[in-house]
Amino acid sequence: MNAVLRSISDDDAPLAVQGLTHGYGDGAVLNGIDLSLSPGSVLGLIGRNGAGKSTLIRAMVGLLKPHTGTAWVFGEPALALSDRAKARIAYVPQQPEALAWLTSQQMLDYVGRFYPAWDARFAKDMLHAWDIQPNRVLGKLSPGERQRVDLIRALASQPQLLVLDEPAAALDPVARRDLLREIALRAGEAGTTVLFSTHIVSDLERVASDIAFLHNGKLLLQCPVDDTKERFARLWLPAHMSAAAPSNTLGQRRHADGSLSLVVERQADGRWPEAAYLPGARVDALGLEDLFVEIAG
Amino acid sequence: MFAIQPTSAEPIYRQIVEQLRRMIAGGQLSAGDLLPSVRDVAGFHAINPMTVSRAYGMAETEGLLERLRGKGMAVAATTRGNATQAQRMTLLEPQLQALARHAQELELPSDPVLRRLGRLLED
Repeated sequence: MNAVLRSISDDDAPLAVQGLTHGYGDGAVLNGIDLSLSPGSVLGLIGRNGAGKSTLIRAMVGLLKPHTGTAWVFGEPALALSDRAKARIAYVPQQPEALAWLTSQQMLDYVGRFYPAWDARFAKDMLHAWDIQPNRVLGKLSPGERQRVDLIRALASQPQLLVLDEPAAALDPVARRDLLREIALRAGEAGTTVLFSTHIVSDLERVASDIAFLHNGKLLLQCPVDDTKERFARLWLPAHMSAAAPSNTLGQRRHADGSLSLVVERQADGRWPEAAYLPGARVDALGLEDLFVEIAG
Repeated sequence: MFAIQPTSAEPIYRQIVEQLRRMIAGGQLSAGDLLPSVRDVAGFHAINPMTVSRAYGMAETEGLLERLRGKGMAVAATTRGNATQAQRMTLLEPQLQALARHAQELELPSDPVLRRLGRLLED
């Protein structure tokens, strides 16, 4: 065995980044991001508008050179991927622009030739289901239709790694549910690894196995979705008890009446911080949406 | 068969296990009844199949379900169709505690609350 000419092995994380920083002008958008996806996982990336989700995704798949840090795809440096690794990935940007002069059908026929596992039948069915006229030129489609065609392209290639930037934006509720179903079943049955960004929290709660919350250039709450709901809660303390608030909380808001809301995390022994057990204190379970609002609001 | 609320603070796998407990205790599911496959549940609700597997696995560990070779998951034979009244009461405990807490926060005396609850139960 030659250690230098190591081939792609299944042991390599489909997607990994380490120490990623990037920025535009003076502002840092990404400030030291470490992230790794295991095979078959579905990572939902969430964050406010302008938090840098697209920048992070583009850096992860090698379409952008970060200021510092490295990204790997199936163990290869993302900025120098082999054709073999490229054939295993499908990436759908928020605004696809390539091959605008072709019709949807022509584009899918053309692109399909490059993928060994291309599913032409699926492509045809989905064009119909998602209401795309196959003979219209891509450049004449609305941005939403354009992204739908690109999602079909990505799914029909049967990739091992699927990367979607805000896929829900272009879809009505029925089509969105179709897409979520595809993501969920492919991850669960074919072992497809999926990274998708979204601002629709309920989509993430349905299909994601893991979440990462991009906030102020850092990833917060990087953990399995179920853990998030069980590990974090909102602690409310009335004004006269606010001095008992634990430090190191993720989010803290003082209300007009002097009472305090904090996001608290279970300790290693499964208990909430001491203040939660004081008389008058209240602990509320949080859905993900509330959790994000508490932290980012 | 399941009512899934992704936005609930209760994780989806817990929602499924909880509903199985109720349906078995309440007799809507009896011993030997086959459950829909993981794929069917995941596909229908567009949820991650691993979540459904986890729920079924937990229910199996609890003795609610058993794996039948080649057929999938079924309600365990050892589960009595109708749990005792005390067991069924236990399932209602979290909701009763929540109700009691809300009533106290609103500083409501217990009589009108109990009267209203009684009327709801008679419907």
